[in-house]
Amino acid sequence: MIDIWRGANLDDDFAMLDYLGFKNFEDLFSDIPAKIRKGNLRMDPHHSEYDLIRQAGFLASKNNYEDFSNFLGCGVYDRIIPSSVDSILSRSEFLTAYTPYQAEISQGMLQSLFEYQSIISDLFGMDVTNSSMYDGPTSLGEAVRMAIRVNERRVILLPENIYRNKMKIIENYTSGLNVVLQTYKLDDRTGMIDLNDIASKINQDVSAVVVENPNSYGIIDENVLKVKELLNGALLIAYVDPVSLGAVRPPGSYGADIAVAEGQQLGIHQNFGGPYLGIFTFRKELARKAPGRIIGQTTDVNGRTGYVMTLQTREQHIRRAKATSNICTNQALMAVAAVSYLTIIGPDGLRKVALASAENSIKLKKSLSSLGNVNADIFTGTSFSDVPVRIDIEVEKLQEKLKHDKIFGGIDASSLFAFPRKTDEHIYFFSVTEKTTDDDIKRLSDSLGGIR
Amino acid sequence: MSFKQATYDEPHIKSMQSRTTFETITGEFSNSIIPQSMRIDQPSVPMIPEYDVVRHYTRLSEMNYSVDTGFYPLGSCTMKFNPKYADKIAAMHLFSETHPLRPEWSVQGSLAVMYELQEYLKEISDMDEVSLQPLAGAQGELTGVLIIRKYFELKGELDTRREIVIPDSAHGTNPASAAMGGFDVVEIPSNKNGTVDIDALKYAVTEKTAGFMITNPNTLGIFDPDILEIAEIVHSKGALLYYDGANLNAILGITSPGIMGFDIVHFNLHKTFATPHGGGGPGAAPVAVKKHLADLLPPPIVRKNNAGYYMDYSNSKLGNIASFYGSFGVLLRAWSYIKRNGADGLKLNSSRAVLNANYLAKKLSKSLKISHDGLKKHEVVFSSEQTGVRALDIAKYIIDSGMHAPTVYFPLIVKEALMIEPTETVTKRDLDAFVDIIERSLKEDHETISKRPINTASGRLDDVKAARELILK
Repeated sequence: MIDIWRGANLDDDFAMLDYLGFKNFEDLFSDIPAKIRKGNLRMDPHHSEYDLIRQAGFLASKNNYEDFSNFLGCGVYDRIIPSSVDSILSRSEFLTAYTPYQAEISQGMLQSLFEYQSIISDLFGMDVTNSSMYDGPTSLGEAVRMAIRVNERRVILLPENIYRNKMKIIENYTSGLNVVLQTYKLDDRTGMIDLNDIASKINQDVSAVVVENPNSYGIIDENVLKVKELLNGALLIAYVDPVSLGAVRPPGSYGADIAVAEGQQLGIHQNFGGPYLGIFTFRKELARKAPGRIIGQTTDVNGRTGYVMTLQTREQHIRRAKATSNICTNQALMAVAAVSYLTIIGPDGLRKVALASAENSIKLKKSLSSLGNVNADIFTGTSFSDVPVRIDIEVEKLQEKLKHDKIFGGIDASSLFAFPRKTDEHIYFFSVTEKTTDDDIKRLSDSLGGIR
Repeated sequence: MSFKQATYDEPHIKSMQSRTTFETITGEFSNSIIPQSMRIDQPSVPMIPEYDVVRHYTRLSEMNYSVDTGFYPLGSCTMKFNPKYADKIAAMHLFSETHPLRPEWSVQGSLAVMYELQEYLKEISDMDEVSLQPLAGAQGELTGVLIIRKYFELKGELDTRREIVIPDSAHGTNPASAAMGGFDVVEIPSNKNGTVDIDALKYAVTEKTAGFMITNPNTLGIFDPDILEIAEIVHSKGALLYYDGANLNAILGITSPGIMGFDIVHFNLHKTFATPHGGGGPGAAPVAVKKHLADLLPPPIVRKNNAGYYMDYSNSKLGNIASFYGSFGVLLRAWSYIKRNGADGLKLNSSRAVLNANYLAKKLSKSLKISHDGLKKHEVVFSSEQTGVRALDIAKYIIDSGMHAPTVYFPLIVKEALMIEPTETVTKRDLDAFVDIIERSLKEDHETISKRPINTASGRLDDVKAARELILK
């Protein structure tokens, strides 16, 4: 076999085959019966590195709409990422390692993940953070499972405007459990949690109440502060926007037992859907019921501070069928992105990012309200990043108009929500971040103003 | 031994408080726009100069062994070299800066990559349909288990099909995933060859069985030649056969799960397709099925018509298992790897991986007891029981010599197990050096070896203290 393109040393292969008493590669597969042998792979032969990169660049260019104004959000946001975050992630000692099973030679990753746990716990006002889950919605699925393990009750109360993808994940994650998923109402005027409705649904069977902040209408929900007192032994699970915590009270301050989030906004590129980061935090007393890897501080034989994976008896590689979760590979590198991002931008940076988003929401609402033909003030609550706008137009027509005017945005509430109500019809979301400019807002305003 | 890992007395980043030097945006902002009851003055995040953050994590990275540092024969993890062209492509901003909710016409490049990857994976596995959505191996397994569950639910047999059968050599995620999907786990013993005990399987698989989860080659690195009979036994009782793709690197282009009779497969793109493991993740684990299960895959599937590529959500009997379309950044790297290696390179890589495992199997057999004789595939398992040296001590000796240790104490059916997977990206020179290190470890006296490692950033760590004190932040 000639192998010029790799420049490989064929002597190695032959020397090893010879040592084994084999003549060729074929001899290595004599244990695989002829009946199940595969014919040649029907795909192209290898490409050179240069050719591959050229082809990739060609495909990438088909995504090129850089002259568009971006108003997409709803869980994933185009935020400023310091160059240093990408630089830290490109350290191949982090990038190309695996789970730190051999702690002594992996202290770098272990300490980085421990620091991620510290920084996130502080930001969320929670006791403990695990060292990452896959993404926000799967973290919520795991949070619901954890609540059921903790109090062995069977009803989960969810907001009625929960996103469809979150709802489906919760259904799938709990399909093996005897669970009832029930929704509670949001107030049509404020766009916030209807506390009376939660109160009326609380009983001894309720395992947990899930609240979102900002909620799925994009509203900073003041009523989350009053949910804890209604619970009667049920757990409070909060799903929050981590960037909002630059200016908004953290879930620990209103009594969350478990708080989860999508961490994409913390220094992670949009990546067309992933990899992202599942942030998973909880009260310390619940630690033994938690899913995922947890890093603990300890000392080595010389008394030096060091870090190890701890509470591993919860995990699949030890407990197998009795593990708290099946998770093994997680999003460790993305956790390093998050801790780098937060420490680089600092408290004032995060505060500004949060406030700039909220301020741009206000600007957007003001600008759209002046048009007269759309309603950007559907709710009295304060918008954070996602602004719901009622436009009397079908989704296809709206998308056509936006495309023509070079705008991404206008996500349809009825496609986003698991249980769209009559009142959600013709609600479209336009999302802003700290990157949104006045020119972007003007472009959108001009475009929507032209709808008749 | 001349290895010495970089060691810094690196403080916790919170104690590096000083000032912030990075400016996100200019201007002053008032928090009065946040409702008063919800408002805070300042979040609890430390102030650290950007240059100190970069130095801190650079120093920490130096205290971390990786595939780019050297040989990393961690069994069942397929720690092969992660090609740099894939990093370059994944970082192309027209891929990385793309919002997942952009309309289909504006993301034709990304959809083309996903479509081609689906086609590659189908060809490699001889399966009929694939979903790229699951985010890691264990989530791929859970997806498979939920497909099994939905399949029997729709057939009206879920009340009786309560069990999933798993060999005792299986990865821990298999039983954990089966349990998470609400099934009872029935474990069957391996036979003396290390493969499935056919009689035990016949006894275990009944009308109560929903599925049998197996990896082939298994975690002992042994290819189960009875796989067609196994498939026959499982299918004859109406159950489904699940392929854990963790060990696919051994057989890529040689045989396939489709040919072997499997109904459901997950691929570990971070293993077989060389995407970087990120210190623990991200991974990606597309799931493929045969035709009769195609409408149970998590949507969307990317399809192509005259107008271009589009996402097909019509397969929605199960619904999604993660937010969007999978870890696109990881999918893109796997696409790059497959395209770069092509039909010829992929098969060559598998052949070399198997050659390396067998070379180590024979060479190390002189000093350690091999779990089972015979040809190996991607990995080999040894026991150190008879040498009187614990597997743990050998592992610490290896890391003290500047290589990564094998997986130890797994699979559970081998005492003092060392599970070694060399992959194709290692030279004979490094394999020989690795064997030398193990041989030297066996000659060291108990007193000395139990004090190792001494050349790494930390000495042996107190796990018991960590679990007792629970300092977690």
